[in-house]
Amino acid sequence: MAKAIYTHACALIFALFLGLSAEVEAQSATALEISGAGADAGPVYLELADLDALPQVTFETSTIWTDGTVTFSGVPLKALLGELSGRNGVVEMVALNDYKVDMPLDRLEDGAPIVATRLNGESMSVRDKGPYWVVFPYDSDTKYQTETTYAWSIWQLNRLKVVD
Amino acid sequence: MKTGLNRYRLAIFVGILVLIVLLAAMAANLPSQLRELSRAAEDNLQWSITQIDTEFANLDAAISRQIATQSLPEENIRLRVDIALSRLAIINSGRSAEIFGDSEEARLLIEPINDFADAAIALSDAPGPLAGDALSEMQQLVSDVRPLVRDIALLGVRLGAEQAESRRTQFANQLTRTGGIAMALLVLMAILMIVLDRLLRRADHRDAELSASTKQLASTVTASLDAIVTANESGEIIDFNTSAERVFGWKRDEIVGLTMEDTFIPHRMRDAHHNGMKRYLETGTPRVVDAGRVELAALRKSGEEFPVELNITTTQSGTDTIFIAYIRDISERKINEQKLIDARDRAERADKAKSQFLTVMSHEMRTPLNGILGVLDLLKTTSLSEEQGRYAKIATSSSEVLLEHVNEALDITRIENGRLQLTFQDFDLADLMRGLMDVFVPLAQEKNLTCTLEIDATMRQRFHGDSGRIRQILTNLIGNAIKFTDEGGVHLHVSGINGLKSSSLRFEVRDTGIGIPKDKQDQVFDDFVALANSSGRQSRGDGLGLAISRRIARAMDGDVTLTKSEDTGSTFTLTLSTLSAVPEENTKSEPSDVAPPPVQPRNVLIVEDNSINRSVLNGMLTAMGHDVVEAVNGVECLKKADETVFDVIFMDIGMPVMDGIEATQRLRADRGPNAQTQIIGLTAHGREEFREQAVAAGMNRFHTKPIRLDALRSIFIELASGTPSRLDAEKFPEALTEMIDLLGHAKVRAVADTFFAELKTLIADLGDNAAHSDKTLLAEAVHKAKGAASLLGQTELQAKLGDLEHEARSDALGDLTAWADALVSSAQKAEQSIAKAIPPDSGTT
Repeated sequence: MAKAIYTHACALIFALFLGLSAEVEAQSATALEISGAGADAGPVYLELADLDALPQVTFETSTIWTDGTVTFSGVPLKALLGELSGRNGVVEMVALNDYKVDMPLDRLEDGAPIVATRLNGESMSVRDKGPYWVVFPYDSDTKYQTETTYAWSIWQLNRLKVVD
Repeated sequence: MKTGLNRYRLAIFVGILVLIVLLAAMAANLPSQLRELSRAAEDNLQWSITQIDTEFANLDAAISRQIATQSLPEENIRLRVDIALSRLAIINSGRSAEIFGDSEEARLLIEPINDFADAAIALSDAPGPLAGDALSEMQQLVSDVRPLVRDIALLGVRLGAEQAESRRTQFANQLTRTGGIAMALLVLMAILMIVLDRLLRRADHRDAELSASTKQLASTVTASLDAIVTANESGEIIDFNTSAERVFGWKRDEIVGLTMEDTFIPHRMRDAHHNGMKRYLETGTPRVVDAGRVELAALRKSGEEFPVELNITTTQSGTDTIFIAYIRDISERKINEQKLIDARDRAERADKAKSQFLTVMSHEMRTPLNGILGVLDLLKTTSLSEEQGRYAKIATSSSEVLLEHVNEALDITRIENGRLQLTFQDFDLADLMRGLMDVFVPLAQEKNLTCTLEIDATMRQRFHGDSGRIRQILTNLIGNAIKFTDEGGVHLHVSGINGLKSSSLRFEVRDTGIGIPKDKQDQVFDDFVALANSSGRQSRGDGLGLAISRRIARAMDGDVTLTKSEDTGSTFTLTLSTLSAVPEENTKSEPSDVAPPPVQPRNVLIVEDNSINRSVLNGMLTAMGHDVVEAVNGVECLKKADETVFDVIFMDIGMPVMDGIEATQRLRADRGPNAQTQIIGLTAHGREEFREQAVAAGMNRFHTKPIRLDALRSIFIELASGTPSRLDAEKFPEALTEMIDLLGHAKVRAVADTFFAELKTLIADLGDNAAHSDKTLLAEAVHKAKGAASLLGQTELQAKLGDLEHEARSDALGDLTAWADALVSSAQKAEQSIAKAIPPDSGTT
C-alpha cells in the first residue's frame, strides 16, 4: 500500500516538474515540498488536492494553541513519506517562516503525527496557521504532551526533507 | 491495665490507617502533578510568544527591503503579513490566553495589537497590489505595533515564568507534605514496633513466671503431706500426687483416667457423690466444694474404709471446671479422739457414780440414824441414872455430828448436780454485817479474841442478791477464823465497787491464827479435808464448809479464795457481784397472834416401810399420848384411811408398792373420810428434792428424817393452834440450822438467850413510853434486835422489828405500848421456836 502511494506520488511529482518548473523561484504557500536524501530523490510539490487524495486520518483533540476541543484531519506523515519513512535518520520540517525542526523517522507512528489539512472540516489559511499543520492527538496519550512533541508540531508547514 | 493497653493499640492502628489513607491520597495526586510539570506546553508556548516579536521584526525588515529594492514578488509580502498575523492569534487563543488571563497590563497591550491586526488585514485584503503607499502604510503600521508586540512578548515570558514558578512551589509543598506524612507514618510504625517489643518482652516474662510457678506448684503438690487429687467435671482423675499414692494405695499411672466414684469413694457414698457433682455442675451451688474442711470416709485400694478430712476447691480450666481435693488421712487422729472420748466418758461415769454413791450413802445412813436418834430421844424420856443420862447425851451428840456430815455430803452433791437454788431479794449490806457481828462478837469474847467489822462507806446501802447465802458463807469463814485463832482477833473488812447496774462486793476475813502451811493452801477448798491444827483439836464442820462456801460463791458468779496465809494469820476473801437494789419498799406482814393451845391426843396414821423407823415414830407418838395406827405402804394406807378418820398422817415418800406421793394424791382425790387430813411428808433424801412434788401432791408439811421428838411436839402444837396448813418452810429456819451446824447447840443457845434477854428489855422499855423520847436511839436498838432475829431465822419477829424501825425513823411513830404488845407475842413464838430447835438440855460441847 505504502509502495503504491509512493509510486503515485512520484507520478505526481513528475507531472509537477513538467508543468510548474517556472514558478520555482516564488515561494508557494499552498504547495508542500517533499525531498529525499541523495540525488535521485528530487523535490516533489503537493497541493491540497494531492494530499486529499492520500489516506486520511481524523481525530479530536485539544491543543495548547487553540480554544477547546478541535477536530483535525489530514494525511499521516508516515504515509506521506512512504518508503522514505523506512530509513534511519530524520525528517527535516520547515515552516513558511523558516522555522525548522528535525524529527527522527523511527518516532513516526501510523496515525501520528498527521499533516492536517482541515481544522473542524475547514481548510486553514496562512493566518490560521495553515495551510498544513503537523499535529498529534495530544489528548490521547501523555507521551504527546512533551516539549519535543510540541516542537515537532510545526504549523504553516512548507517543506519536508528526509535526511540520513 | 489490659483495656488500657488495648485502647493504646487501637489508637496506634487508627493513626496508622489515617496516615496511610492520607499518604495514598497525596501520592495518587503526585503523578498527575508530576505529569503536569513534565509537560512542555508552557515552555513551547513561551517560545511561540517570543517568536511574535521575531516575526514582526522579519516583516518590518522585509517591507523596508521591498520599499528600497522592489526585489520580492508582491505575494511574498502578503505571505509575510499573513504569517505575522497568524502569530497574533496565539495571544487571543489557547493556553497563551490563559497565561495573560485577567492581567490588565496584557489587556492594555492586546487591544491596540488587535486594532493593528484589523487595520493590517484591511490593508492587505484591499484590492490592488500591496505596493507604493499601501506598502508604506503597512510599514508604518508594523513599526507602530512592534514596541507593543515586544512588550506583550516580554509580559508573556514573565507571566509564564511566574505561573510555572507557582506550580513548582505547589508541587514542592505537596512533596513536603507527603514526605511529612510518610515520616509520621514511619514514626508511628516505630512506636508500634516498640509497643510490640514491650508486649513481647512482657509475654516472655510472664511465660517465664508462669513456668516457674508451675514448677513450684508441681513440686509443692508432689511434696505435700496431704493427698491431692485433681478431677475433671465427669469425675475422672487427672492428677494424683505422691501422698495420695501412699494414702490410697493406688499408683498414679493406674488411677489417672478412672473416676473417683469407681476408686476411692466408699460404695455407700457413691450415689450422694454423683448427685452432688451433678447438682454443683448444674446449679453451681456448692455443698462440699469450698465448704472448708469436711470429715468424710474414703476407700483404700485394699477395700478398707478410713476416715478423711477433706477440702475441695474448684478452678476453671478454659470452660471446664476442675475439682481439686485435699485429703488427709485422719484415722490415727480419730482413734486418738475416740480414746480421749472414752477416757472422758469413763471419768464422767466415775464422777457420776461418786455423786450417786454419796447420795445413796447419805440416804442409807440417814435411815439408821433416824432410828438411833429417835431411840435416844425416847431413852431420855425414861428415868436414867446420871451416868446413863451422860452416855445418852454423848450418843446423841455423836449421832448429830454424824448426821451433819451426811447432810454436808448431800449438800455437795446437790450443788454439783446444779440443784442449788438462789433466792434473790433486796437487802441492806450493813444490817447483814451487823447481824453477823452480834453473833460472833460474844463468841470471840469467850476465847478472849476481838471481832471487828469495817464497812467502806460506799457499801452502806442496799443490794439485790441472795443474802442468806452470803451470810452462810461468811458464817463459815468467820466461824473457822475464830475456831483456828487462839489469840489476837478476827477482822471483817467489806469493800467493793458500785456499778450502775451491778456491784462488786469484797469481804475479807482476816485472823491472827496459826495460818495454813503453803503446801496445804490448795487443799483447804477440797472436799473432806480437815487440817489438824497445832493444838491437835479438830472440830466438826470444817470438813466440807469451805468447799461448800466456794461452790455457793461460784454459783453467784463470785469466789472464795485464800488471799494470804502465813504464820501470823490467814485471810479468806469472798468476792461477789450483786445487782444494785431497787428502792426500798416497806412491806408490812400481818402478825398472826394466836396463843398456843395445849396438846391434845390425836388419831395418827404412820405410813412407813422401814420397821425400825415405824416403831421409833410409833414409840415417840405413843409417848406423847396419841393413838397410832401403822401402814407399811401406800396401798395399806389407803385401805386403813378408808375405815378410819385420822387427824394426822405421817407419810414416808419412798416406799415399795405405792409411794407416799401417789398415796397422798389418791387420798386428796377420793373425797373419802381423810380427804382433808393433815399429811406430813417424811423423806430420808435431802431437804429440797421432793419438796415441790410433795406440795403438788397435797401434803401439808414436809420433813426430813430423822424427825426428832421436839419437831413432833411443835407439829402438834401448831396443829392445835390451826396455823397454816400450807407447806411454807422448814420447821427449823435454815439460818438457825446453819448456825447450829456451825456453832453447836450450846453456843447458839447462849446467843439466843442473850438476844431474848435484850429483846425483853427493849419491849419493857417500849411499854414504858417515856423512856424513849430519843427516837434515833430507839431505832438503833430496834435495828440491832432485828439483825439478831434475822440471824436466828425468826422472820416474823424480824419483820415486826423492821416495821417498828421504819416507823421510828420516819417520824410517824404510833403508840409504843401497842407495839410492845405486838412484839411480846412474836417474841414468845420465836422463843418457843428456838427452844424446840435447841432444847435447853441438848447442848453439847
